[in-house]
Amino acid sequence: MVYNYMYQDHRDIQSETSQLEITAPYLLERFKTDDGASLLNKTITVTGTITAIEEGAVTLNESVYASFPEEIPELRANNKVAIKGRCIGYDELFEIVKLDQCSMIK
Amino acid sequence: MDCWKTRFYKIILHMKTIIVLLIFCFAFVVTAFGQEKFATKTGEINFEASVPSFEEVKAENNNVSAVLETGTGNFAALALMKGFRFKVALMEEHFNENYIESSKYPKATFKGKIQDFDYSELSGEKEYVINGTFNLHGTDKTMEVPAVISKKGEDVWVTAQFVLKPEEFNIKIPSIVSKKIADEVNVSTVFILQKQ
Repeated sequence: MVYNYMYQDHRDIQSETSQLEITAPYLLERFKTDDGASLLNKTITVTGTITAIEEGAVTLNESVYASFPEEIPELRANNKVAIKGRCIGYDELFEIVKLDQCSMIK
Repeated sequence: MDCWKTRFYKIILHMKTIIVLLIFCFAFVVTAFGQEKFATKTGEINFEASVPSFEEVKAENNNVSAVLETGTGNFAALALMKGFRFKVALMEEHFNENYIESSKYPKATFKGKIQDFDYSELSGEKEYVINGTFNLHGTDKTMEVPAVISKKGEDVWVTAQFVLKPEEFNIKIPSIVSKKIADEVNVSTVFILQKQ
């Protein structure tokens, strides 16, 4: 039992139910107005238009940066998507909200 | 009288040429020494605070942002604390909830200036010192960080290894586990910065 406590598995974000569905610009707005703390570490779904694609990550509406643990399925700029991931916070250098362990919903 | 007039016009004409020339010079200087920016959102930070014969205390974050202004040598980096991943889930939980308090202090930042940085001289690996301030766990600390900077293709690489002490950032480690966590945390970072 102690062993199970010590070595419990990591969260599996992909199988978790998302606790909020929000558009990318509005998510950014919430963090910019200091209303984002309650979303930290939560699994959320973000909807928006892809504005940039990088290795292992996409940017939605220049507001949300979503990184994927695996190869990203085929995507193009301007695709409208919904992405589920864990909200890890606001990056003030790029003025962007970051999500990790993302998966594509549609 | 006419003579005065022509002289006056000549002077005005001269001034015009001088002003135009000055504007050109100014424009040239601005483009030559302008604020070229190099940046990344996928910088890496690894840290290890393992003690021999105990479980390794080690984490990595592959989503660290950094920006370098080549004109001034200003360098800034930002890591979201919740982005640090441990092998053991419980260790990650303790790191976030008990030590680094990532809900209260969600990010760590570094802002500094690279000493004697001249972008035009950048080619192979060269050692530099970055003078700057860390902000971690809501606490500021000024430090001189040795870094190796190089240009590879179009990218600028900034790598650094340094030691941080949790106590200097007001991070308290309970005595029960303090034997299993080193007093000095070895941090290593790799930033591959792309021209913006």
